[in-house]
Amino acid sequence: MNAGAKRSLPPLRVEQALGLLPDIEVLAPLRALLLAASRPDERDQWSSLGPYLTVGKREVQPAELRNRMSQALGQVQTHVGALYAACIEALECQERADGVGAVAALGRAARLEEEVGRLAQAKAWYEVALVLAERLPDRRPEVELLRALGGVCHTLSRYAEGARYCQRGLALAEAEFDQVGAIAACEGLGLLALAQGEWAGAQAWYQRGLRLAESGGDAGRVGQLNYRLGELLRSRNDLTAAAEYLGRARERFEAADDAAGVARTLDVQGQVDARLGRRAAALGAFREALAWRRRAPPREAPLEVAIRLHLATLAVDSERYLEAEEELRRAEQVAIARNLGLQLIEIYTLMGALRGRQGEDTGFVFFEQAIELCRLYAVSPSTEAHVYHEYGVFRGRLGSREEARAYLEKAGGIFESLGQVAELEQVQAELQRMSA
Amino acid sequence: MDLPRGTRLLAEGRWALVLALLGDRGDEELTWWAEALRGVDGAPRLLAVVDRPSMALVLRAEKLGVLDLLPQPLRREDFLRALLRLRSAAGEIPIPLPDVTPHGAGPYALVGQSPAMVDVYKLIARVAGSTATVLIQGESGTGKEVVARAIHLNGSVASGPFVAVNCAAIPENLLESELFGHEKGSFTGAIARRVGRFEQASGGTLFLDEIADMGMALQAKILRAVQEREIERVGGTDPIPVHVRLIAATNRDLREAITQGRMREDLYYRLAVVIVQLPRLTERGDDLLLLTAYFARQFAERSGKRIDAISDRAFEALRNRPWVGNVRELRNVIERAVIVATDATLRLEHLPEELRTDEAGLPGRSPSGLATLADAEARHIARVLAHVGGQIGAAAEILGIHRNTLTRKIREYGL
Repeated sequence: MNAGAKRSLPPLRVEQALGLLPDIEVLAPLRALLLAASRPDERDQWSSLGPYLTVGKREVQPAELRNRMSQALGQVQTHVGALYAACIEALECQERADGVGAVAALGRAARLEEEVGRLAQAKAWYEVALVLAERLPDRRPEVELLRALGGVCHTLSRYAEGARYCQRGLALAEAEFDQVGAIAACEGLGLLALAQGEWAGAQAWYQRGLRLAESGGDAGRVGQLNYRLGELLRSRNDLTAAAEYLGRARERFEAADDAAGVARTLDVQGQVDARLGRRAAALGAFREALAWRRRAPPREAPLEVAIRLHLATLAVDSERYLEAEEELRRAEQVAIARNLGLQLIEIYTLMGALRGRQGEDTGFVFFEQAIELCRLYAVSPSTEAHVYHEYGVFRGRLGSREEARAYLEKAGGIFESLGQVAELEQVQAELQRMSA
Repeated sequence: MDLPRGTRLLAEGRWALVLALLGDRGDEELTWWAEALRGVDGAPRLLAVVDRPSMALVLRAEKLGVLDLLPQPLRREDFLRALLRLRSAAGEIPIPLPDVTPHGAGPYALVGQSPAMVDVYKLIARVAGSTATVLIQGESGTGKEVVARAIHLNGSVASGPFVAVNCAAIPENLLESELFGHEKGSFTGAIARRVGRFEQASGGTLFLDEIADMGMALQAKILRAVQEREIERVGGTDPIPVHVRLIAATNRDLREAITQGRMREDLYYRLAVVIVQLPRLTERGDDLLLLTAYFARQFAERSGKRIDAISDRAFEALRNRPWVGNVRELRNVIERAVIVATDATLRLEHLPEELRTDEAGLPGRSPSGLATLADAEARHIARVLAHVGGQIGAAAEILGIHRNTLTRKIREYGL
């Protein structure tokens, strides 16, 4: 085929490319590269496809993939090499009866897996490390591993299991007078209680952690627990109390020079302002959050996406659809470039909801893309359930009651199995509204 | 004041001007500020101050619509001159927007009086009364769906539904079920029974947009549906009769697609009984002003504003645009402009950055319509000279070149 004919051919799209890759783990880095290297076809921008562009419809250039393949393989090699090295180091430590060293090496491998989003693998490493740590005279590594396992279980939606780890960690930390460990365990227990809709329990855990942190004079942790309480109270609609906690969190984060902490706090403050109908204040808080985010390390990219998602939500709620779309497209760029699958799912879910508000039924393509990404990134069932929930609302809004009900029931079933009471109640309320 | 506090203050009041002191990463900071100011109440302009303004940075500032980029230390007269520039933005001459009578209403109205569009109207009038399948061809954003709706509304099935399917937007693996529907459980994700678009359009018009993006297997099913007037849901067993008028559209060359083996020839001839070719926006002459007026009023009404003019410089910028995205791109530009406009006139500063840099008055453009490097350099030198009141030494210092080089360039560009 000559060059001219090749130019006139339609672009090879991500959805076609992904269809060629079997769903096996060894290809996961290639899938990530494929998404990151994709770009929107310029011809699509102004076509009727433009408003419905998703990552699946972006263009893939195999030549570019080939060029960047060595870079991706290099990253894989570095990662696997680090895991192997950690393993060998653990063996060497075992050989010379250095249990602490072995636990540290295995823990390092777990964190490496966690950083690249391989949570199930991270959990396996942590569990092996925990078995070793249980035999150590110094119990602090065990406390740290229990906290880490609690965190991984939280992200994997395994709330009850996570709570068990954190409970063990707290008991151990208190027995060992490990205040830092106890504070972290309290925070973890609060998060897990919150995920299961146990509001009072979550608040009690956070407050307990806060008391411990205040008695230790740890500004960073005091800031963090105030932030958690602010976030919790915002979700409970106790906005005045939330704002008080958030104000204190901000002070502490600023004192600790924690730019990401300030950005996170302002992000929640923006949501509080938005809930109070103070649009200008909310916009200001989100924009300031973005300014603080610039000072934070690059690994905080998900925070930027989260802030932009809230900016977009604010714009959707004030029916500024164009602004909402622009913000979502900016967030999408960051998420694709940084391989932030979870955030990409949230972006498309909100984009679909936005199209629903505009009465555009082709908006269903965003939900379908989000569902496809849930599968691709093997995200937690909770995330998938959120997509189904919004998909149901979308279908209901556009008059497809049978489909709306089916999606809502599917979401409700998942939330119920996870024990996410608050989310389940929202779905049930939606179903009741539809039946009325 | 630092960046976070600055952005906080922005939200607390209404500002006309923001003075930003740029650090080492001037380019990045300029972009950040331009983004931070977007959508802020009062649409404040940005005046940036930097230690040494490089040529690249000045060009970037201009592209981002920055009011001015001034060197450190900030001199009083430079600052006052910038403020005067802020006021002079109001000095653009307003062109009243004409009254427009669209054919149709809402987002699907046909606007324009150019000969090319009048030909399209005549063709619509001729084909609307028949039941012939119509193929609408035209670049992206020329209004293919608008024409399809006009044919539907003026035809014999006007009382029936108009169902549009964007074949390019829908994932390939879902397009068949979207068109023909599916039975519950027929494939993963078939969570409930779904009535397809063919059935939804029964008794009306089915508009298949971007038909060239459809796979060959699906094309065969479309052909069968058109010829036999019946379909089968995915996972279904019984044929379902459907009576639809089919209108298809594409921005690609379907004949070329046939030679490449990506389009069935029999389907092409079935669809292309009548072909409506839509003109590019740049071929529609004075329709540009009519469309601008139409969109400006439409979006102004939606956002509770009143827009009755566009400035001469802004309209010149619109005229110089190649409009790759045609009417859709223009609509988008006007929508944004209306959002940021603070009074009844759309001005140059309300247009997106890429239009401001395309503004009129540039010497000799390249055949592509884009400014050459020499154009940009000439314009930038002229700007710096104006900024320093014609002092060659000061201008050479800002530009980072020797004064002899500058003198030569001034002669070369006739500045």
